[in-house]
Amino acid sequence: MVKAKAATAAFALLLVSPLAIHAKQVRANIVYDDVATDVTTATSDPAQLWISTADLTRATRFELKPQGVCRDQLCFPVPKARSSEFVRKDSGTTFFNLLAFAQLVSQPIAHDGTLSTWYFGLRSDQREGLSSLQAPDFTLPDMAGKMHSLSDFPGKKVLLVTWASW
Amino acid sequence: MKDAGAWITAARPTYTALIDEKHLVSKLYNMVNVPTGVWINEEGKIVRPNEVAFVDDRFKTFTGLDSEPYLTALKDWVEKGGKSVYAMSEEKLRDRLTVNDQNFILAAAQFGLGEYLYKNGHLTEAIPHFKEAQRLNPKSWNYKRQAYALSDAKRDYGTTFADEVQKAGGSKVYYQPPDLPATDKKP
Repeated sequence: MVKAKAATAAFALLLVSPLAIHAKQVRANIVYDDVATDVTTATSDPAQLWISTADLTRATRFELKPQGVCRDQLCFPVPKARSSEFVRKDSGTTFFNLLAFAQLVSQPIAHDGTLSTWYFGLRSDQREGLSSLQAPDFTLPDMAGKMHSLSDFPGKKVLLVTWASW
Repeated sequence: MKDAGAWITAARPTYTALIDEKHLVSKLYNMVNVPTGVWINEEGKIVRPNEVAFVDDRFKTFTGLDSEPYLTALKDWVEKGGKSVYAMSEEKLRDRLTVNDQNFILAAAQFGLGEYLYKNGHLTEAIPHFKEAQRLNPKSWNYKRQAYALSDAKRDYGTTFADEVQKAGGSKVYYQPPDLPATDKKP
């Protein structure tokens, strides 16, 4: 009898947890495309990273749209059958699970629990170029701060050499 | 900029010299050491992937590598393009490129996090992530050298760059020379 009560209580807790998102808000630092953004997450569970869709856009420039998670010309559809893994609503705010999205787009993550920092690496679409033998494009500054891209050199042979001053 | 700037200023390059504080190029191209060179043709296609690219002999006493074969190959490609014997076939290129190795992909994220934490004043917290990057991608000298340069390597990693080079067989085998096909053509 006691056992049955305990099981029921645990089940009830699981059922209400999505509605209690705000109760556990904690600060987190998201580093996406090497740009850091402070956000508020809806849970302290390190296996979850639920952030508001406003924070999603602020931290990643991706937007949740009817057709998927989109940025510029890029759009990743959210699998309909699994939509609850990605999107939840609470008190008028829509939350998005950035870790589930990372898994969807084969994006590596590194996490530091002490500093509550999440680093997101290159998504599969950002790694595709190399597989197709197309030299991945990049944009970096010169000494004067002027930005240059590999794609600034169409029709020219390029010798790309890296070095460091260790 | 602080570290590399003086070198670039002194060299007064006529080519485009860029500062890559976040190691973006290494991440995109899966580079594991410096100097690393990649040849990219007029259509933006890679024709020779990552390889050691010494364009002068200033480190020859350390590496034992002569820059002349690489420069000869480079000039040949500039002149002949895809017909150069040094431009690799697609099959050979695919064989050489390291792509989609899950451990290497994860290593890049751990290294990126380590770099971010270090730059924000958290060296102690950065060290475990640098170590994890080195464990996941033991081929990367970049991960080792960058981490060692940011702290007391002996204290924090129990080793030094010199120790690691010795473990790898010494400085003369530390760099694998570029795999250039034999040719009868004189420079």
